[in-house]
Amino acid sequence: MRKLFISTIATLIGLSIIWQVTAAERTPAPKDAYLYIGWPNDGEVIPANRPFRVWFGLRHMGVAPKDVDAPFTGHHHLVIDRDLPPFDQEIPSDRNFLHFGSGQTETMIELPAGKHTLQLLMGDHNHIPHDPPIYSKKITIDVR
Amino acid sequence: MNKIIVLLMVVCVFAINTAHAERTPAPKDAQVYIVWPADGAVIHGGKLWVRMGLRGAGVAPKGADKPHVGHHHLIVDAELPPMDEAIPSDRNYLHFGGGQTEARLEGLSPGKHTLQLLMGDHDHVPHDPPLYSKKITITVPPY
Ligand SMILES: [Cu+2]
Ligand SMILES: [Cu+2]
Repeated sequence: MRKLFISTIATLIGLSIIWQVTAAERTPAPKDAYLYIGWPNDGEVIPANRPFRVWFGLRHMGVAPKDVDAPFTGHHHLVIDRDLPPFDQEIPSDRNFLHFGSGQTETMIELPAGKHTLQLLMGDHNHIPHDPPIYSKKITIDVR
Repeated sequence: MNKIIVLLMVVCVFAINTAHAERTPAPKDAQVYIVWPADGAVIHGGKLWVRMGLRGAGVAPKGADKPHVGHHHLIVDAELPPMDEAIPSDRNYLHFGGGQTEARLEGLSPGKHTLQLLMGDHDHVPHDPPLYSKKITITVPPY
């Protein structure tokens, strides 16, 4: 019983070390970094079946393509109709989570009629959110 | 004498070609532009954030040599520099080598000022073809 207890403690210590190492892997972000959607505005009405531009705004931080590990940089991710993903792992990559790993600072998208949400989230050279995570306000647009 | 002139011409053409070959190619459809302020804007207090826009190419910090990327340079109250050498770095030629996409300007004196963007590659040299914005004029009222 005592042995089991000790090995449990040892496992816990081991796990906490792994956890700390994992946590330490997240890239630090400047405390005053500010990410926002420059356009469209919250509540914007957008014509359906027509591509429209989304402009990515970022202050006190820089943009770098994926794989470029430079201090206080990252690349933009546009989250469409989804909540923010977990911050301690790679941002998913599908039609709801768009990566701009070439260092793009704007994009054109097309959405079907209806209400949609848009939110920006920075990711580091490994597509993992920074520490603290840098994300914009989530906006809702009305496509019709 | 003729021979020397021909030789000089050959050397010159060779030198020009070499210099050009060093410039980083830019995507043909890439476009750099000032998102804000608009041409003719009136800026009270002489301080503003300039939003730097880029289409068809990406932003990378200085030193990152990847295809189709560069970093922004904001030219304040000056002309475009030579396109075949590193962009000057002084109070008229601001480098955003950290990959920034917005530029904070403060202490602009009352009067008219011009703003223009120019992309530079990892070595701060303009691309081939060069990517620069329209030059805009803003006015700072007396304060
Ligand atoms: Cu990514
Ligand atoms: Cu530069």
